[in-house]
Amino acid sequence: MRPQMEKVLGEVEKVIAGKRAVIEKILLALLAEGHVLLDDVPGVGKTTLAVALSRALGLTFRRIQFTPDVLPSDIVGFSIYDRETGGFQYRPGALNHAHLVLGDEINRASSKTQSALLEAMEERQVTVDGNTYPMEAPFLVIATENSVGTAGTQPLPYAQMDRFLVRLSLGYPDYEAQMTMLRDRQGGNPLEAVARVMERDELTAMQREVRNVTAKDAILDYITRLSMASRSHEAVAVGVSPRGALFLDRAAKARAYLEGRDYVTGGDVQAVFRDVCAHRVLLKENISGTTVEQVLDELLKKVENPDRRGLFPGMKKA
Amino acid sequence: MTRRWVGWAAWLMLASCLYFFENNTGTRAVLLCSLLCPLVPPLRSAFFSPDRLKQTETPKPLTVSSLVLREAEEPGDVRAYLPGDPVNRIHWKLSAKRDELLVRPQTLETAEEKTKAEETGTGEEKRSRSKRLAALSLAAVLLSLLLLLLIPEANRGAQALCNRLFSASEAVNAYAYDRFSVSENQPVWPAVLLLSVMLTGMMGVLIASRSRLLALTLMGGCAAFQAYFGLPLPGWANVGLLILFALWMARRLWTRKEALSILCALLIVSLSVALIWPGVDMDTEAASERARDWLNSLAQQAMGTVQEEPTGENEVRHVHTQTLTAGEGEAQAEKEYRLMTVEEQQISMPHWLDYLKIALLLLLTVALVVLPFLPFLWLNARRKQALEARRVFESDDVNEAVAAIFQHAAAWLNAMGYGAGNVLYRDWPDHLETLLPTDYAERFGQCAKIFEEAAYSGHEMTEEQRETMRRFLEETEAVMRAKADWKQKLRLKYKEGLWI
Repeated sequence: MRPQMEKVLGEVEKVIAGKRAVIEKILLALLAEGHVLLDDVPGVGKTTLAVALSRALGLTFRRIQFTPDVLPSDIVGFSIYDRETGGFQYRPGALNHAHLVLGDEINRASSKTQSALLEAMEERQVTVDGNTYPMEAPFLVIATENSVGTAGTQPLPYAQMDRFLVRLSLGYPDYEAQMTMLRDRQGGNPLEAVARVMERDELTAMQREVRNVTAKDAILDYITRLSMASRSHEAVAVGVSPRGALFLDRAAKARAYLEGRDYVTGGDVQAVFRDVCAHRVLLKENISGTTVEQVLDELLKKVENPDRRGLFPGMKKA
Repeated sequence: MTRRWVGWAAWLMLASCLYFFENNTGTRAVLLCSLLCPLVPPLRSAFFSPDRLKQTETPKPLTVSSLVLREAEEPGDVRAYLPGDPVNRIHWKLSAKRDELLVRPQTLETAEEKTKAEETGTGEEKRSRSKRLAALSLAAVLLSLLLLLLIPEANRGAQALCNRLFSASEAVNAYAYDRFSVSENQPVWPAVLLLSVMLTGMMGVLIASRSRLLALTLMGGCAAFQAYFGLPLPGWANVGLLILFALWMARRLWTRKEALSILCALLIVSLSVALIWPGVDMDTEAASERARDWLNSLAQQAMGTVQEEPTGENEVRHVHTQTLTAGEGEAQAEKEYRLMTVEEQQISMPHWLDYLKIALLLLLTVALVVLPFLPFLWLNARRKQALEARRVFESDDVNEAVAAIFQHAAAWLNAMGYGAGNVLYRDWPDHLETLLPTDYAERFGQCAKIFEEAAYSGHEMTEEQRETMRRFLEETEAVMRAKADWKQKLRLKYKEGLWI
């Protein structure tokens, strides 16, 4: 683990106890310039986590509570007529000037609003009335989703799910973590204690370094074989998309960087595979008793890992 | 469920075999009965729904008369609710009508069950009774077997019985056999008596052990016996046997009424078959004949006798049966006839066979000259391959060399069965620790990290790392060689090509 990231983790862990793995994965998404979809029940500390993260990283935090009447213009901004100048003036929306955006209950928004958000996530810019406004550099959306089927929700279409780098779940804290949390909150809000340990420029520099992490052909070959195997698996209706494969590569690079390496190994791919691909794989409807996780585990077991293959041109397969 | 279907299919096959080899009205009826078996509702429920025993609480069928009766009886049937009565006994409809809780007393069904249980005694008693029956039957079987072996009269009687069976059998007539040497008019009744005691005893054992599969086996045995010895019982007897076995198989599940209906159904089938389709079916008979001839010829081939000319087949069989019925004088004639046919075949052998023989001889000579050198050629090729695989260890690209050396070490572990399969090498030590010394597993882990760097990073590896890897490979080889037995050593050297 990079010492800087270790520090960030330490700060965030002041408020969220016992969720190191999830926080690590969110940092990983941040480094990989991806976005996070949190699938959780209310009250497990999503907002607290996001606020703590933004404080530790020195980022601007914005929270959007999605309801059916939130409009696209609320998010991306709108132009309003200014009588003095006689022209239109752009009023920025919730996304502009925010680095860390928590989109709460994204599936309660209308599909129009959802697509506006997701487009902004993908393009990292918003276009209003023909003018393009780019987002500021580290831009991470943590969207949360109510369990589908609750009244008044618009389930996220598969195509939009695909735009998130990882889908994670905080889950309930265990006994120890719950006790720590209760104890910490006796005096005051521990959020106050979260210190800024990193500057924004450092983070963008790190993102650049992540992009420069080496991923050799053997690794790209492994990613390709994994995603192709997911498409041809008999229980799978929709496998990992090419975008999914790209994200897998990016996430693996970020993991390698987090681990302090400048090259991706098969282990990195395996470590991020489940989180990156679980929401991209749709099972066939008539398959019962199989979960996506099982299918992904099976793929990891079945698809030959890169260690065992010929790694250099002209090298015989081991 | 499936086991029952398989059992039924097996029985059906036996029945069709029986019909094929001994086709007459009786066997046809048996076949049809077996076919219709799953169609008769009580039979089907008996054979194909194993859960019937568990469903003791099936509601009685609602008929008009029962409804009428129930309505009439109702006022007398109910009594006032007392605390402690089960809730499901409450007659809600009447309770609502009269504004007080009314309860149905125990129904007739359950009362009936109770008396039944009393009659048959408790389960414990029943079990001990069936145990006693089993012991008795087993004793009877053993005793009669002993007597059958020990009493000379009975023994000879059994042999005579066999003789009669053999001589009556058509299928066996097709083969040459020696009969037992006892006089023709040896009385068979003691043997018959003892055998029947034995059979009854066996039945007793089977009944006591409450196994339905055994009934099926016996059924099959009966059918096979008939088919093999060609001793079909009369049609009615076969049908009777089938019914008996079927009843036995399902005995615990049937009420008297169901059994009666099944009996009627089987009787109707048998009678209608006898009326509509009596006697022997010529087509089937001919097919059966052909099959038997084919089996005969197969058997003769297997026993090494010369195959007869296909045209003379009928004649030969004629001679055959004559021999068997008329005795030893004719057997001599049969032998002479066979010798004659062999000689004829030899005389008519074509000349090209000689050329073939010469060609074969030439081929053999060449092979004999070449063959001794073949292993050496092969071994040399393997050695070259192994050396080729190791050449990359000296490669200028140190990364490639380091990765290749490590993969080679892993290949050793794989070949010896210590490999962890499709798991990344860095995760192997957990698996290796259980099989090999801990410090070796640790070193494997360290080298796996070097390997990953060599394989996946853009870093230049050093000569020192190559040397480390080479030492690790040597250590691996030493460990594996110590563990390998001679067979594995041969395999490592010549099949896997790991070891020079």
